[in-house]
Amino acid sequence: MKIHRINAVIVRHVYEARRNFDRVIDTVWWPVLDIVMWGFFSIYLTHGKGLQPGFISMMLGAAILWTMFYSFQRDMAVAFIDDLWCRNLINLFSTPLMVSEYIAGIIVVCILKVMVGLLAASAIAWAAYSFDIFPWLPQFIPYMANLMLFALALGIAITGMIFRYTTKIQALAWSFAGLLMPVSCIFYPVSSLPKWLQDIAWMMPTAHSFEGMRDVLAGKGFSPVHFWWGAGLNVIYFALAITFFGWIFEKARTRGLLVKQE
Amino acid sequence: MLVKVENLTKTFGEFHAVDDVSFGIEPGEIIGMLGPNGAGKTTTIHMILGLITATSGRISIFGKSMATERGEILEQMNFTSPYVAFPFRLTVLENLMVFARIYNLRKPRARIDELLERFGITKLRDKAIARLSSGENTRVGLCKAFMNDPRLLLLDEPTAYLDPEIAWQVKNALLDAQREKGTTILYTSHNMDEVERMCKRIIFLHHGKVIATGSPIEITQAILEEEREEPALEEVFLRVVRGKAA
Repeated sequence: MKIHRINAVIVRHVYEARRNFDRVIDTVWWPVLDIVMWGFFSIYLTHGKGLQPGFISMMLGAAILWTMFYSFQRDMAVAFIDDLWCRNLINLFSTPLMVSEYIAGIIVVCILKVMVGLLAASAIAWAAYSFDIFPWLPQFIPYMANLMLFALALGIAITGMIFRYTTKIQALAWSFAGLLMPVSCIFYPVSSLPKWLQDIAWMMPTAHSFEGMRDVLAGKGFSPVHFWWGAGLNVIYFALAITFFGWIFEKARTRGLLVKQE
Repeated sequence: MLVKVENLTKTFGEFHAVDDVSFGIEPGEIIGMLGPNGAGKTTTIHMILGLITATSGRISIFGKSMATERGEILEQMNFTSPYVAFPFRLTVLENLMVFARIYNLRKPRARIDELLERFGITKLRDKAIARLSSGENTRVGLCKAFMNDPRLLLLDEPTAYLDPEIAWQVKNALLDAQREKGTTILYTSHNMDEVERMCKRIIFLHHGKVIATGSPIEITQAILEEEREEPALEEVFLRVVRGKAA
């Protein structure tokens, strides 16, 4: 892999972000809107409902982390779709640019975008609801890293599917993370699910991250068990995603889909 | 031999898009690839670029195998076609800067300015691609194609959408590159006069097969099956399309 080629992909998407208002909306608007909505909803629920202390923090912490996870997965797939929509893939892949460099560039762009969204959402949570995420960050960071790794694995897998099935399935870019919401247990503990669904939830790195986050906010400290379970599952999902992508990319080249992307 | 294509075949299910095609290109040669729509020209170019995996056959460029040394080969070649596009919100300069970075140019801005001037689009530098005409877009593609000063250039109908004056400028730029730097060019076009003027040698494809190779006059005589003093590629083309050859 060559740094200058990864840099070229980063620059291409930074230019796009500067000129495409949709990408600004994706990066800042939705994370902020999520926090505003969940903040109001949490305040409403706590008014005279006898909910445990720290409920608002848990809701906002969960909303911020979920937004980060969702944005990362969506941005990965959408960055690829941008090149698909403007029929730029032939231009890119008729250069020495390797697909691994292309994906690496997109990952860097996604991390930058997620950081911007995270900062914006955290600022609103602090200003509007007095929820300051920063003191919690040292304990949150391992869970956030797991969320981003899982989002990366999903993003790679979805990008692979779009390579193969083209824009016919592009809606997955925006919706796939949503499918995992119920079993990710963002706003409720895994124990509140029916038993059979709990078994599925424990296979999700997201569920482990949100359980860990709740432990931290409840004052139980950092849970290595949830972190290592999440990390172990991520290794499996990431390996599967990379294998799947490599296989499906070759399939797309064999079928000539790389030059017929629409 | 700069390019060597041996027994190249590409099938999509039962359909043979390219069928046992073999040819070679000498350094510094401008070679034309002709054939009706669906003859397999673009698929052949895409296989040479490694964008499509061949069903069978071998491609070697600069003495290296495309199957195993694609990255190294692509450093020294380039491609353009008016049928591919650039991110349309980005300006001409931004788009070209991306490719300048891919090729790791030392002075990208100077190179881009030089190319914009060569193809007469300096004034479009800060315009978004979305605001360009088809002909202007084609010229941006040509700037991209010359970005890395390629030893081998694959051009898929490079003068489509261009008015005669601009097409003439582009043809001269290609001939200059070939004369001054020895650039080897594989060229497809539906403009027979252009091919006659540009190419010393032609590969004629039909239904995925090579039906004739040689100079324009040799192709004319081979397909029309009669002695001619001048090339008549348009007549050849019509003969092939109407099914009186191959």
